[in-house]
Amino acid sequence: MTLASEKPAERWSAAVVVLHWIGAALILGLLELGWFMVHAETDAARRFDLYQLHKSLGFLALAVLSVRLAARWATRAPAQPSSMPRWERRAASLAHGGLYAASLFAILSGWFVVSAAVVAIPTRFFDLVVVPDLPGVGPAQFDAAATSHLVAVWLLAGVIALHIAAAVKHRFVDRDGVWSRMARWPGRG
Amino acid sequence: MANFRYAPSSLRRAEAFALSVAFSALPSAPGSLAASNWAIDPTRTHIAFAVDAVAYPKTHGEFRQFEGTIVIDLEHPAKSHVAFHVQSASVDVGSSSFNDYLRSQALLDASRFPTIDFSSTSVEKLDDHRVRLTGDLTLLGVTHPLDVDVDVERRPGGGRARFEFTAKTTINRLEFGMNSGFPVISRDVELVISSEAAES
Repeated sequence: MTLASEKPAERWSAAVVVLHWIGAALILGLLELGWFMVHAETDAARRFDLYQLHKSLGFLALAVLSVRLAARWATRAPAQPSSMPRWERRAASLAHGGLYAASLFAILSGWFVVSAAVVAIPTRFFDLVVVPDLPGVGPAQFDAAATSHLVAVWLLAGVIALHIAAAVKHRFVDRDGVWSRMARWPGRG
Repeated sequence: MANFRYAPSSLRRAEAFALSVAFSALPSAPGSLAASNWAIDPTRTHIAFAVDAVAYPKTHGEFRQFEGTIVIDLEHPAKSHVAFHVQSASVDVGSSSFNDYLRSQALLDASRFPTIDFSSTSVEKLDDHRVRLTGDLTLLGVTHPLDVDVDVERRPGGGRARFEFTAKTTINRLEFGMNSGFPVISRDVELVISSEAAES
């Protein structure tokens, strides 16, 4: 728990750092796989497997994001450097919130697509357990679902691009330690 | 009329397989099917299908397990008979999870309807290379008439004589109550059945 009396942490907690990188790999992988499975020239069987993998990875990303949000809530966030102008600090907070929101929007809209699909293929999470469809959703909502997933995914890609650009700026222009508190293995100087 | 039964002891992929084939001579066919024993080659027999879907590559697959009987006697058409009993659970499109989906209640419902059956009611010679089978197809417990033209070709090459059989037809899956995924998954299912028989 973040307590008002405590000083902000020097760096992100180990849990947040590890979950950040797992989440980053999953989300970038999902964006790439989503693009590939729709646009690549593949045969029907391979495409089926790619769609099922995309669904499993999407639900894994939801699980990781949930744990990460819990970890973020339960641990102290490092203070933003005082060298950052006020508007930049505000923008950073907004962008971080936007990343969480867009990730969640992308994943939940994907679940919406799965639930509204005319070809109702059960989601077998890595062949371990069947994930139920969202209740009350049917093929009538498929167009809305597909559009919302597309909007969510482009929104997410945009916020990720901004996030990476800002991280690179902190690393090479500002050199203010913001990069290394996430990009270095937790516990190392 | 030659008649014989083929029952291989071991087959690839442990397929349950029993075929019999019998022919009378196709008198005017080049290299006619003489009155002798003919064996269906299980490795060259395929019960294949193809289905289109919107914004999706065409799905090609086949059924790996089936039993069949081919008895064609053009001199005595009433003695001719062709029957196939296909194990619906043996569907194979090249992906185990896709196969599971095809076997599910949504499509083939293999646990409730373990076989897809075709049984001819008449066989008619069209020309030296073709016969027309008229019969009934039973899928999901629903029976509909089905006409299939079968090409019969002698395969070139020395040694034992071999004949190829190829049948192509299209069925409307909605007629059998297989509605799932329509209209994204096409109504029409193409069937391509090919087989080869050799003089034994």
